[in-house]
Amino acid sequence: MKEKAKERIVLSVVAGIGMVAFLWWFFHNPVRDMKANVPGQDNRPLKTVMSDSVIIGEKFKEYGTIKTTLTGKWPRFRGADIDNIDKEKIKLIDKFGSSGPKILWKVELGDGHAAPAIYNGRVYVLDYDERKKDDALRCFSLETGQELWRRWYAVNLKRNHGMSRTIPAVTDKYVVTIGPRCQVMCTDPINGNFLWGIDLAREFNTEVPLWYTGQCPLIDHDTAIIAPAGTSLMIGVDCKTGKVCWKTPNSGKWKMSHSSVIPMTFNGKKMYVYSAIGGVCGVSGSGRDKGRILWETDKFMASVIAPSPLVLDDGKILLTAGYGYGSMLIQLVPSGDRFSVKILKEYKPSSGLASEQQTPIFYRHHIFAILPKDAGAGRNQFVCVDENDVTKILWTSSKTDRYGLGPYLLADGKFFILNDDGTLSIAKANLSEFQYLDKAKLFDGQDAWGPMAMADGYLLLRDSKQMVCLDMRTK
Amino acid sequence: MENQDKFNRRDFLHKSLRTGIGLSLVGVAAFLARKTNAGNYVWQLDPSKCVQCGRCATNCVLTPSAVKCIHVYDMCGYCDLCGGYLRPETKEFNTAAESQLCPTSAIKRKFVEEPFFEYTIDEKLCIGCGKCVKGCNAFGNGSLQLQAQHKICVNCNECSIARACPAEAWSRVPLSEAYQLRGFENPKKG
Repeated sequence: MKEKAKERIVLSVVAGIGMVAFLWWFFHNPVRDMKANVPGQDNRPLKTVMSDSVIIGEKFKEYGTIKTTLTGKWPRFRGADIDNIDKEKIKLIDKFGSSGPKILWKVELGDGHAAPAIYNGRVYVLDYDERKKDDALRCFSLETGQELWRRWYAVNLKRNHGMSRTIPAVTDKYVVTIGPRCQVMCTDPINGNFLWGIDLAREFNTEVPLWYTGQCPLIDHDTAIIAPAGTSLMIGVDCKTGKVCWKTPNSGKWKMSHSSVIPMTFNGKKMYVYSAIGGVCGVSGSGRDKGRILWETDKFMASVIAPSPLVLDDGKILLTAGYGYGSMLIQLVPSGDRFSVKILKEYKPSSGLASEQQTPIFYRHHIFAILPKDAGAGRNQFVCVDENDVTKILWTSSKTDRYGLGPYLLADGKFFILNDDGTLSIAKANLSEFQYLDKAKLFDGQDAWGPMAMADGYLLLRDSKQMVCLDMRTK
Repeated sequence: MENQDKFNRRDFLHKSLRTGIGLSLVGVAAFLARKTNAGNYVWQLDPSKCVQCGRCATNCVLTPSAVKCIHVYDMCGYCDLCGGYLRPETKEFNTAAESQLCPTSAIKRKFVEEPFFEYTIDEKLCIGCGKCVKGCNAFGNGSLQLQAQHKICVNCNECSIARACPAEAWSRVPLSEAYQLRGFENPKKG
């Protein structure tokens, strides 16, 4: 009896323990404190409240006038031919010499990377005055740095890795700018008279890009070519009247990038190439079908795109973007009255030519760029590739000559490369090797990322807070 | 008598030499004692050398690792598109699990005001893998940095992470400079 009682007790205890364990297992929720990560936990407001109080070009002030004999032009982003090459026949220095760089003048600017355009002795730069909260087109004398006039409008911005970052487009009759919050303004280049304005965010539902607008306007035969990437993907605006001549529908709901519209002619057809957030397209720029999409691809899908498409020979286009994305080489193939897109190469920045912020230079069938910081061993080096093999680096500036996100241009057979910290280097434009000539620290600057401009032997460059004019002519 | 009391040349040299050797020995001993006093030195990672290989997460004797991500707010851009928070290929800038780069969701993102977002590290969840640091370096200002947390670190005589570090980014540093954050001057402890 005793033995059986013992067995029962043991069995009961075991059964009880088992039951308790089962109940604990059944009712215990080990993940009760876990919360699913879902959108909206950052309390982001559903929609940004847009101010509709901006009156584009409302204010003006004149400071002086000039008479100048200068005729040099760097009239827009990447210069007259949109290739970042100055083709004037002016001899420029190889070395800065014992007296150092010849700085003609300096001007304080608002925080940003907006770069100047030069037209017949006048300098145009879009600048944001953080204290007054004004976005201003400022006109200076190229020779003296004297401010001639400014046309501005009030718009509220907060500092966000710089504020202004676009370059005006200038012709004999018009200056067109795109402000940080997508306000397009057209003025007279001589007297600054306001001609017209378009608020892309208000009229085309453009989403202001991260860190504000980076797209530089293009003027083509008195038509301003703008890519709102809102309700319309691209528009042509008559510079004389401000009326929208044609619109390209944005069926893919692409968004505005920091890239700019680049003109291209292939197979006898003129087109405007734009690399948006969502895809790349070519829009007809001539004939009756102006504004029609001739080709498009959504295979180039970077989250942030700063460099513009680089048009190569024979319908090839190099697309590149930073922050780990890399590059893509595409080929346009005529197909009836349109074109199809063939992807020739697609690679990460460590496997070939790529760029994070500046658009590479295409010169004598070779491409030159500063590799991004995520390009492995070649990071931040100035490199060269042949257009027929963009993944084979022909030469680099070596580990001892690394650069940052700063600009570079080509003039008089020489590269002028500006480092982030305000150091300007000169290198011979050599296809077979990097031939360093000289360098000089121009200012104790930071974030010298705005593209440079050169005309009449004067080189304009900037860091985040000032613009400097150098006389680069040989004596 | 006068001559016997006088310090002769031989005695002077002997005593000088002995005193010199004695002082040198004491000096060297004091220097070595100070140098080898483990209590005053700790292991730390130099963020400027770190290559974010991931070994800090896997080679520490502690689980999870004593290495944590620290956010240097002075350097942060407070961007909507944060390379340390979001996966590179993501198109939506939000808090969805599929958008986040951190494998343990240790970074919290909060809207501050248009267009700024604040990112904070939940240290309990951080495993020190450095993925966010890599993303921040590739995209942003490098404000996310790995550091050994000394309230967790057991300060091994020979740090197992330092042994495995391919960038030789680990070294013993004085306790007064226990954190080697870059981007601003290190606060000196009293």
